[in-house]
Amino acid sequence: MISGARQAEPNWFHRMVARAMARRLNAFVVPGPDVARALGLDIEAAGLQVVDTPRHASVLLLVGELPEGLREAAAVAYAQMPRPRAVFATGTADVSPLPEPDVSVALDQASLATGIQELRRAFAEGAFAPEIEDFEAAVVQEDEEDEEEMDHGHMHHDHGGEGQEEESEEDQEDEPEEEESGEKEIGEDQLENFMSMIEMTEGMPASGDGLIMEWVPAPYGPLFPGLPGGLSLTFTLDGDTVAGTEVEPGIEGHIPVEILHGPVASIAERAAKLDPLTPVVYRWLACRAVEDASGAQISDEEALSRVGALERERAASHLGWAASFGFLIGDGSLSQRAAWLQLALLQVTNIDEVGLIKDEVEDFVRKALRTPFLGSKLGGIGTPEDGPEDAAGPVARAAGSEKDSRSEDPTYRNLGFYPIVRDGNDALARFRLRLEEIAQSLDLVLGAGAIASTDSPAGEASSGTGTSTVETPRGTATLDVTLEDGKVISAELDAPSTRNARLVEGVTVSREVADALVGVGSLDLSPWEMSR
Amino acid sequence: MTTAIVILVLLAGAYVVAVLEGWATNGRLRPAGPALDAVALLGRESVVTRSSDRIFFEVGPVLLLISALLAAAVLPLSPGLVVTDLATGALFVNMALAFVMVALVMAGWGPDGVYAMVGGWRFLGQLVGYSMLIVMPLTAVAMRAESLFTIRIVESQGALWNVIFQPLGFVLFFLAALAVCFLPPFDLPTAPGELAGGVMAEYTGARLAIMRLARMVLVVTLAVTVTVFYLGGWIGPVLPPWAWTLGKSLLVAAVMLFAGRYVPRIREEHFLQWFWKFGIPLALVNILYVGIVLLVVDK
Amino acid sequence: MSALQQYAVLLGMVVGVVGFVLSVYGIARSLGKTRKEPGKDVPATSGKLSRDPVWARYHARYYGYALLFLAFDMEMAYMYPWAVVYRELGLKALLDMGVFLTILYLGLLYGWSQGAFRRQR
Repeated sequence: MISGARQAEPNWFHRMVARAMARRLNAFVVPGPDVARALGLDIEAAGLQVVDTPRHASVLLLVGELPEGLREAAAVAYAQMPRPRAVFATGTADVSPLPEPDVSVALDQASLATGIQELRRAFAEGAFAPEIEDFEAAVVQEDEEDEEEMDHGHMHHDHGGEGQEEESEEDQEDEPEEEESGEKEIGEDQLENFMSMIEMTEGMPASGDGLIMEWVPAPYGPLFPGLPGGLSLTFTLDGDTVAGTEVEPGIEGHIPVEILHGPVASIAERAAKLDPLTPVVYRWLACRAVEDASGAQISDEEALSRVGALERERAASHLGWAASFGFLIGDGSLSQRAAWLQLALLQVTNIDEVGLIKDEVEDFVRKALRTPFLGSKLGGIGTPEDGPEDAAGPVARAAGSEKDSRSEDPTYRNLGFYPIVRDGNDALARFRLRLEEIAQSLDLVLGAGAIASTDSPAGEASSGTGTSTVETPRGTATLDVTLEDGKVISAELDAPSTRNARLVEGVTVSREVADALVGVGSLDLSPWEMSR
Repeated sequence: MTTAIVILVLLAGAYVVAVLEGWATNGRLRPAGPALDAVALLGRESVVTRSSDRIFFEVGPVLLLISALLAAAVLPLSPGLVVTDLATGALFVNMALAFVMVALVMAGWGPDGVYAMVGGWRFLGQLVGYSMLIVMPLTAVAMRAESLFTIRIVESQGALWNVIFQPLGFVLFFLAALAVCFLPPFDLPTAPGELAGGVMAEYTGARLAIMRLARMVLVVTLAVTVTVFYLGGWIGPVLPPWAWTLGKSLLVAAVMLFAGRYVPRIREEHFLQWFWKFGIPLALVNILYVGIVLLVVDK
Repeated sequence: MSALQQYAVLLGMVVGVVGFVLSVYGIARSLGKTRKEPGKDVPATSGKLSRDPVWARYHARYYGYALLFLAFDMEMAYMYPWAVVYRELGLKALLDMGVFLTILYLGLLYGWSQGAFRRQR
C-alpha cells in the first residue's frame, strides 16, 4: 500500500486502473525541475512525466535535501494532489511533515530509474486500500488567525470562511446567491447608497486607467513551475496586471553561511551545500578565501583546472537557465534542447568530451538566437525602473556594464578572456548575453584544458582573515572569512542573487503577469543564495 | 448511423491527436499513452474546490466537448457522411465555436482559484482577437460557394482549392483556428509557465479526462474545418473520399500541434494588437479580393 | 431531413454528450469517492495555501478592443446572407457592401487613432 492510497476494497477494476496508473506516473517536482537538472537528474528520461501543478500529479518527487520551508510547501502540494498519490524521495533524508516516502533512493540517475520501477510496483499493488489515513499536517490545517489576516481588500467575506468544507455539495451549489447576499450586507450599512459604485470603491486603490477594481493576492512560488524552484513571490493582481510584488528572501530553513565555520580542510564540502545549483563556484570561493587568509599560492595547473571547472559550471548553469526560461516563455524545443545539453555537459568527465559537445552547444546557441518572435516576446521586458546600478553578473553586463571580476584574474587574462557586454537592459539582451556566454565558457574550458574541481584549500591552515571574489554564473560573489587555528570562526557572504532580487519589484510592477514573470525569469535568481 | 460513424471517427481522430500532442510536447511517441492516461484519470479523485461555483465548474468541460462536437456535426467527411447538412452550415460552425469561449470562462471562474481565473478572462480577450478572423475568411469562402451548405463549399473547390484561390484567407483562418483550440503559441488560458495550467489547473480525475478529451476533439474539429473550407475536403484522386478528408485533417492537426513548439508564447497585448491592426484589415482585403476575382474571372 | 429533424439530431447529440459524461463520472465514482481532507479543496497555488476568495471585479484591460468587437460582430451578421447572394447580384452587391465596410473600417481607423488598440494601463 502506498502512503496516499485511495480508500476502496480493491476489485478487478481497481487493479486494472492501478496498473494503468503505475505505467503513467505524473510527477510534481520539489523544489523544481531546474534543481533536479542541476543535480544531474533527467526525470523524463527515467520514465516520469513532469507536470505543472500538484493537481495533475500522482507522484511528489523530492529532489535532494529540502529546507524546512520547502518541506512545508511540499506538504501543501501533497495535500492538494488527488489520491492515489505517493511520495518519492531522491536523496532526501528528512521529509517531515510529509508522510514517509514510499520509495527513497540516492540522488543519481541510476537510482532514480530503479526507484521508479519500485514505485510502479507499489502503485500497481497498493493504489487502492481498504484502510487509509487522512493526511493532516499542521501546515494544511485551518488557521483562523491567518484567515483574518489574509482577508484584506475583499468585499465578500462570506465565502472561503472556516467550516465551509463541512458543507455538503448541495450547499455549494447555492454559492452564487450567497455572494449576492454578501454584497447586500455591505449595502445594509448605508441603505441610501445601496450598490453605489462610489460607496463600494471608496478608499480602494485605483489602476493606471483610473478604474477601481478589486485586487487579488496571487502566490507565485515557492513551487511555481515557471520560476526557479524555491523562489517565492506574491503578486497582487489587478486583473492580469501586477499591482504589487513581495519577494520572500531566500528559502526558510536553508543552511546559513555559518555552515562554513569549522575545520578548514573540509570547507569545500560544506561550501558546496550553500547552493545546489552551483556547488563548484562555492567550493572555489571558500578555498580561495582560506588561501587568501593563509597566504598560500596555488600552482598554475591548479588555477587553470579551477577555471575549467568553474566555466563548465557556468555553461551548464546558463543552459539550465535557458531550459527553464524556454519553458516559461512557452518555447518547447528551446527548453528541451537546453535541458538535454545541460545534462550532457554535467556528465562530462574529461576535457575531450567537452570538445565533442561543443559543436552541438554552438549549434544550439545559433538556433536559439534565431528563434522567431523573440524580439517581440522579450524586448523591453524586465527593464528595471531605476537602472542597473545594483545589478550583478549577466544582468549588469546586459545593461552595458563591464562588471566582471574575471577581468582582474591573471589566469583568465592569459586565456584571452574579455567580458561580453550588451546594451538593452531587458530580457532580450540578457537572453542573448547568456547564450553567448555559454559558447565563451566552453572555449575557456578548452583553453584551460582541465575540469577537475577544487577539493580542499592549498597551503597550511593558519589564522587571519581572507577575502575572495568569484564571478559566479549569476554575478560577483564575495566571501570574507576569519580563521583561527585552522578553523573558520566567521564567514560573511555577499551573493549576487541577493542584489538582483532587489530588481524584482521594478521589473514586475504594472506589468502584465506573463511579462512580469519573464522579467523575473530573465534575472536568473537563485533562491538558495538569497540571504534571509 | 451516420452520427455514430462521424462521432467514432472524431474520437479516433482525437486519440491520434492526443498521441501526436504527447509526441510534440515530450518528444516521445507512445501509442498507448492516452488510453492509459484516460484509465488512470478515471481512478483518481476528482476534487471540487471549496466555495466553487459548482454549476460553472461542472458545465465548463461538458460545454467544451459539446461545442466541439456540434461544430463537427455540420462538417462533411465525405459527400454522404455528415451528421446534419444544415442550410446555415458555415454560420453554425462559427456559432458552435463561440461556445468554446463560454466554456473556458466558466472553467476559469468556477473553481475560485487565481490562476484559473486569469486564464479564463485571458481567453475572453483572446476571443475578441481571433473571432473576426474566423468569421471574415468564412464569408469569403461562402461568397465563392454561393452557399452556407458545407457540402456545397467543398464542391465549389472542385477546380481549385480555396487554399490557392484565397491563400490570405487560409493563413488568417489557420491562425484563428490555432487560437480557438488554444494551442501554442496561443495557449494563453492554459500557459504552463505562466499560470501552471490555468483553466485546466483545478480539474482532476474524471473531470480532467473530459476536459482533455474535449480539447482533443476541438483540435480535430478545427483541423476538419480547415480541410473542408480550404483544402478541398474529400476531393482527391484514387483514395475513397473519407480517406482524403481524414488524411488532410490529420496533416493539418499535426501542423497545428507542432507549429507552436518553435516559437515563444505570444503576449496577450501583441495577440490583440496584431490580430486587430493587421488581421482584420487583411481579412477585409481578402473579402474584397475574392469579390473582385469572382466578378472578373469566374463570370 | 427537414430543418426541424436536423436540429433534433443536434439536440440528441447534446443530450448524448451529457449522458456520456455522466456515465464516465459514474464509472469513476464506482471506484470510490473523493476523501475530504484538510487543504485538498483549496485551489493549488504553488505550494502556498491561499484560502482567499479570488472572485472579484476583474480588471479586463482589453475593453477598448471589446467595444470595437461589438460593432464588428454585429456587422458580420449581415455579411453571411450577403455572401450567399453575392455572385447573383454582382457588382451592385460589391458596391453596397463596399460602402458599408468602408464606414466600418473608418470606425476601426478612428478607434486606432484614439488608442483603442492597446492595453489599458
